[in-house]
Amino acid sequence: MILFELFLSFMKIGFFSFGGMTMIPVINDEVLVHGWMTMDEVLDIVAVAEMTPGSLGINCATFVGLRTAGLPGAFSATLGVMMPSLTLCMAAAHFIMKLKGNQTLENIMNGVRPVSMGMLLAVAVTLGQTTFWAEGAGISLSGLRWNLVFIATVCGFLMFRWKLSIPRAILLAAVLGLAAG
Amino acid sequence: MEQHSDNSPGAVQEKAGGAGSSPGRNGNSHPMGRVGKLAVMFWTMARIGCLTFGGGWSIIGQMQAEFVEKRGWLTEEQIIDFMSLARSFPGIMIINMSVLCGYAMEGAAGALSAALGLSAPAVIAIGLVTYFYSSLKSNPYVEKVLNGVRCVVIPIILQAAWKLKNKSLISTMSWLLFAAAFCVCAFTGVSKPAVIVAGAAAGLVIWGKGGNHDTV
Repeated sequence: MILFELFLSFMKIGFFSFGGMTMIPVINDEVLVHGWMTMDEVLDIVAVAEMTPGSLGINCATFVGLRTAGLPGAFSATLGVMMPSLTLCMAAAHFIMKLKGNQTLENIMNGVRPVSMGMLLAVAVTLGQTTFWAEGAGISLSGLRWNLVFIATVCGFLMFRWKLSIPRAILLAAVLGLAAG
Repeated sequence: MEQHSDNSPGAVQEKAGGAGSSPGRNGNSHPMGRVGKLAVMFWTMARIGCLTFGGGWSIIGQMQAEFVEKRGWLTEEQIIDFMSLARSFPGIMIINMSVLCGYAMEGAAGALSAALGLSAPAVIAIGLVTYFYSSLKSNPYVEKVLNGVRCVVIPIILQAAWKLKNKSLISTMSWLLFAAAFCVCAFTGVSKPAVIVAGAAAGLVIWGKGGNHDTV
């Protein structure tokens, strides 16, 4: 019944976290309690998740599932961690589509839209802080990693000025990173 | 496919004049047919899934380019609305985003195909990386490439914000809300769902009394 346990555990992780690093403590609890992994291995996942595309939650579920029960384990854990999206978000999407044109919903969305744009811009600032300054160095001009600022500027310029597509921009950034990262 | 071909002109017309109308939920009028559309969604999301590094926020820009600009299956408003919902609901933001957009485009099957498409590359990549973990961990080139990729996420987000601003920042009041939310999110630790709920309440209060963007 390890497959079902994996599914349940990761469903719990999904429902009690909001993605990204907020998942670490919840994941930690679940996999330690079941004895699926050690603390060191949990830290390894974070490194693995950084190396691979996809979110920490999916990567972690696949990693733990693969370790404990092979490919079927990977599938049940991954499906488990996707359950909040497949239930709550599906219901929300249904609700939103049904209420299309409703004036109250429009009023709410008029307030939510600018707020989420502010949130999006704030994500760029926070990411900029963690990317362009070495960890723990503090925000100062001398600690700025100029090579990374250069990569971001070149890619951004090409995207805005010459409409370089996103996949190509990512590829370019990887190549520039190899040369100057 | 054949029995839907008579709908194709209608689909084109709707796309041309469809500023306010939903481009989704009309899968049958799509020239490819429903299964074809689902397959395109799966494949597109899988390609997006190969390139989601650094928290996955670049997905906003990628989905905007693929589904709004290129195919017209979603509107810019939907991208903005779903972004705030995806961030407020429990679970993984990018999976939430793909379920919401997938559902808007092609119902429950669309949601499933978008979510599975997005996670497929991650699952495959984890399998490979787990196998080669020890050699990758000590490889300095991996770190360099990842540094480069993390950098480009920032212009991708900025570009997405730039393109979406016309649909969200349409009055003085909305600019003020935007500025307030930016400051709160960038400089305080207030949780994101709380910020979005506050935005919803502000929207109700400001526009709820019969006001519109011209008068506020």
